[in-house]
Amino acid sequence: MPTRSISWVSKTLAVTRKDIVSEFRTRYAINAIVMFALVTLTVISFSVGLLSPSKEILSALFWVILFFASMSGLAQAFIKEEETGTAMILRLSCEGSIVFFGKMLFNFLLLLTLSILVVPLFIVFLKVVPTDWTLFIGAVLMGLIGLSGATTIIAAIVSKASVQGALFTVLSFPVLLPLLVAVIEITTVSFTGGTFADASAPLQLLVAYDVIMITLSSMLFDFVWRI
Amino acid sequence: MLWKIIIFLGMSAVIVAAFLTASPMRAANSLGPADVYRIFYFHVPQAWVASLAFVLSMIYSIRFLRTRNMKYDTKALTANKLGVMFAIVAMVTGSIFAKMTWGEFWNWSEVREVSVFILLLIYGGYFALRSAIADPDTRANLSAVISIIFAVAALFLIFVLPRIYSAFSQHPSDSIIDKSGQITMGLTVRMIFFSSLIMFTALFFWIYNLSIRVARLTAKKMLESK
Repeated sequence: MPTRSISWVSKTLAVTRKDIVSEFRTRYAINAIVMFALVTLTVISFSVGLLSPSKEILSALFWVILFFASMSGLAQAFIKEEETGTAMILRLSCEGSIVFFGKMLFNFLLLLTLSILVVPLFIVFLKVVPTDWTLFIGAVLMGLIGLSGATTIIAAIVSKASVQGALFTVLSFPVLLPLLVAVIEITTVSFTGGTFADASAPLQLLVAYDVIMITLSSMLFDFVWRI
Repeated sequence: MLWKIIIFLGMSAVIVAAFLTASPMRAANSLGPADVYRIFYFHVPQAWVASLAFVLSMIYSIRFLRTRNMKYDTKALTANKLGVMFAIVAMVTGSIFAKMTWGEFWNWSEVREVSVFILLLIYGGYFALRSAIADPDTRANLSAVISIIFAVAALFLIFVLPRIYSAFSQHPSDSIIDKSGQITMGLTVRMIFFSSLIMFTALFFWIYNLSIRVARLTAKKMLESK
């Protein structure tokens, strides 16, 4: 059924495009994420930049910045729909899986913008250069895919609850922990001059995590979305 | 009432036997004093019950999503409540053992200790979500979904991570259960250990049934008062 699959993709992209347009009007999520990342980065540069920390610590700090910055803005994708009352229209106009992948793609693009800003600043401020760029970029991309894949459904859950901001972090952390462990390991390898072969075990873990989490979330999404 | 007496007598017998027989570890092999290893009779069954509760709550969450029967939500919640209790107890006994043999209560490079800590964080998230949703149907639905997601994340933490970072773990598994999974224990040790396992499991199900009955009566009373 080629026509059906084409329309599925274009509908998904339409959801993403709608989110991008509304994000450009308010710039709420991107402002929150970028400012949070800049503040954390500055604090870290001021406090440990002078101590010449080891590369292992730097790779952990890099992901701490990305993790907490993404926690400050990713939940907005669904909270905004519920607050402005547009969730119902979205529910009527397309299937759950389209909404899920559309929002996931939007969150991924948001994180991509964030890391395009943060990576150069991190390298300049903390004077660490990845020796293996493909491994580093691969780790960041796979990490961002996992981050957006696992947190999209949590954002949908949280949008139905009270105390949303705090709850989002509390629920995301245990889910994202395997991802963070693996991705910090790979980043360390890319900082300390290793190759793909040195990082094969965490890379396998990372790929398995991404695939399983995205599949599981898309399967469970309808239970959250259609209440 | 009958079960209460049986569990009380059985537990007492296990406790007495655990302290009156020889230690499960010979002094020559042990890291600390051999007596410390008696905690194995209690720590392992507690950890087993905690994981049993976790699996039970996941099964009931899946059944809830398939049937939308509130009965399963109550069951999942009760299993989680008891799981927290047993996980805390297992964590405390494990820490005592760690202090006596490795010299410190807590070690972040010890995968088993970290995973029980994450398990507690997961339970914390589950209860935080439940308390943040007012509507009972939405609450049951969303907490079932999150507990399935948590269970998959926990599988990664408990089974996948320790295999990759096995070099860090000092947890005794080879000393008690060898690599092929065969238990290398004497007959007395085996008898006490398995009776303890059965008793802890019975204790869990006894408390579990009581809690379910209490929850059912509370729900009934709330309906009547309306």
